[in-house]
Amino acid sequence: MSPGSPLARIPVRVEQRPAAAATGTIGGGVAAILTEIATLLERLAATGESAAIDLRSLPMSPSDRERLTQALGRGEIDIVLHADGDSSIRETGVQGVWWTEYRDCDGEVLAAFIEITRVPEILIVPVGELTRGAVQLREMARTAAAPQGESTRVTI
Amino acid sequence: MDLVNFARGPALKAAFIFFFLGVAWRLINVLLLMHRRDLSEPRRSMASSLLGGLKAIGSRSWPHPEFIPRTGAGEALGYSYHIGLFLVILFFAPHVAFFGSFVGLHWPTLPNSVTTIISVITFTLLLAVLFRRVTHRVLRRLSNFDDYFSWFVVTLVIVTGLMATAHVGGPYPTVLGLHILSFDLLLVWFPLGKLMHAFYLFPTRAIDGYLLTRRGAPS
Amino acid sequence: MSRSDPQPTIGELLDRNGVSRRAFVKYCTAMASVLALPPLAGRAMAEQLRAARRPSVIYLSFQECTGCLESLTRSFAPTIESLLFNVISLDYDDTLMAAAGQQAEEARAQAMKANYGKYLLVVDGSVPTGEGGVYDCAAGRSALDILTDCARGAAAIVCVGTCSSFGGIPFANPNPTGARAVSDIIRDKPIVNVSGCPPIAEVITGTLLQYVTLGRVPELDAHLRPTVFFGNSIHDRCYRRPFYDRGQFAKSFDDEGARSGWCLYELGCKGPTTYNACATVKWNGGVSFPIESGHPCLGCAEPDFWDGGSFYSPIPTPRWGKAGEVRPAQAAELAVGAAVAGAVIGAGSVLLAGRRTRHLQGPEQDSHEKKEE
Repeated sequence: MSPGSPLARIPVRVEQRPAAAATGTIGGGVAAILTEIATLLERLAATGESAAIDLRSLPMSPSDRERLTQALGRGEIDIVLHADGDSSIRETGVQGVWWTEYRDCDGEVLAAFIEITRVPEILIVPVGELTRGAVQLREMARTAAAPQGESTRVTI
Repeated sequence: MDLVNFARGPALKAAFIFFFLGVAWRLINVLLLMHRRDLSEPRRSMASSLLGGLKAIGSRSWPHPEFIPRTGAGEALGYSYHIGLFLVILFFAPHVAFFGSFVGLHWPTLPNSVTTIISVITFTLLLAVLFRRVTHRVLRRLSNFDDYFSWFVVTLVIVTGLMATAHVGGPYPTVLGLHILSFDLLLVWFPLGKLMHAFYLFPTRAIDGYLLTRRGAPS
Repeated sequence: MSRSDPQPTIGELLDRNGVSRRAFVKYCTAMASVLALPPLAGRAMAEQLRAARRPSVIYLSFQECTGCLESLTRSFAPTIESLLFNVISLDYDDTLMAAAGQQAEEARAQAMKANYGKYLLVVDGSVPTGEGGVYDCAAGRSALDILTDCARGAAAIVCVGTCSSFGGIPFANPNPTGARAVSDIIRDKPIVNVSGCPPIAEVITGTLLQYVTLGRVPELDAHLRPTVFFGNSIHDRCYRRPFYDRGQFAKSFDDEGARSGWCLYELGCKGPTTYNACATVKWNGGVSFPIESGHPCLGCAEPDFWDGGSFYSPIPTPRWGKAGEVRPAQAAELAVGAAVAGAVIGAGSVLLAGRRTRHLQGPEQDSHEKKEE
């Protein structure tokens, strides 16, 4: 960009983002979400019904997001799901409340939500898969046991 | 063609033409018909009479003190909604864009919250005005179609405008189309009814003032 | 491309292609979020889809710029492609398919025959009807002919893009080819318009996915667009709305207001009258949308957006001039002309009134004085 070009004449202004004010209280938006989570937890305890809050659909500023993460904290369980990219399911400091982020193979977030449940849905194996697995194993065992002139060690 | 494009397209063009044609027609009509040579002896000079004419435009803006107890309330009511109307018409951002595009100008606007409040107050005042006209024992006997229809046409524009801003009453483009269409109706009705007072009041006050000053009785 | 019965379910195909159950649940959850469904609905969607069979899809391209297909296939996340093409069986698309010529046409005819009454017809581009339809021909047949033929056995038609939905750019004044929207030609099939120039990739995928999951056409607005994506105007969801409400507008590009991210209403933004998902779903995988990048909305998902006046004049601007707008000089000319005409009529009527009065009263009396009494 030469000094005389029209582009050079557009003044450049650098915006300094002010340091996030350290306040002792939580913003109104975050308080509302926490109340909702509490209500859903109570419902889960009473009826066993799971629920989820889509973080994409909530208009939250980055500082609100930060405050929400801090308020919920980190729990004891950290799950990484390797399925076409790495997704994470983290237990928050509140048991029964899970922070889930699904990512694709480029690491882009596909979906982000807070799940209120006893066990995250995606971890539960459907019955069909169980029976399929059993069939698969039996087939593997049968093939391994059949005499083929090779070692009978079964490697799983 | 959908409603909005019709309202601000062919309908607006036709209404615009009719407005200017009608206003010029009625103004010229009345001004020419009013012409009469004053044969009495002038008590004041020409310059003084002309000045008197100009002063009358201002002095007739408020009643003489003796009449205020009787007409003051009505005057105040009238002024209030007129001011409200002008503020919203001239300083609401989309209106500035609309009128500004005709004259190629742009001027400062008021925030939406302010104009909304003013519009609501103006609408309430218009309802009060109608109530007064219908209940006042003299006014209701004097009132005719022109009075009520002129009120209706102005109020319709405000109501549809508020509906559009509040996004109620249907999909926004439809309500906006109705608002612009009601403005087209206002433009068409303007030269036909008592809304013409907007143009009449200046020349009539001026001529009256001139004549009366000439005769030695400035008002 | 012929399929032998019974066709595999989507689940079986996914397993064959190495897409795990959990990976598919992941994608469906993402799609559920885009469709404004609760996140856990993604799991139900995944289960439903896995049990279903892939519908056959015939994709026809007519008078189009290929922008719609580009929007769909050039999406940042390759997952959208893999998700979509695992869930539908794209049996014909002359831009994407490897086959060409007679073989391609035969493949289409076979797919249509095998799935008669059940295949989904996806169309982008408008259909020219002028001069018998010669302005768009493929394989020796006019677009009009191909469309009518393919529509006969379709279960539903999805029009991708403003051109096939409303006529779009070819339809703009003076429309020399006689371009028409698909819904103007086909009247007896359920039609879904996914408008936009181009539509957002997730909106196209989401609509197709909705169709496959529901097994029928989703809820539509008056323009036959899915309400889940086209139910709100850009203005309703725009993040710059507070500036509009406060009356803070950018007056020109690169001015202080524009740099501060103020509302673009005065620069011609058509957000209030445009219904699309740009402000929520956004473009390029949720990166941004025109207003966020500083350009006013063009209104490209609405009919006649091209002829609706300049992109840079605000919505309230009158639109009656030749170019769709009125300029101050034009308005002044018209006003003065009308006023002169009015004045002439006014003066004429006064003369007539005067003449009639004099005629009634006789010549010797002063007609004006008489009139005063």
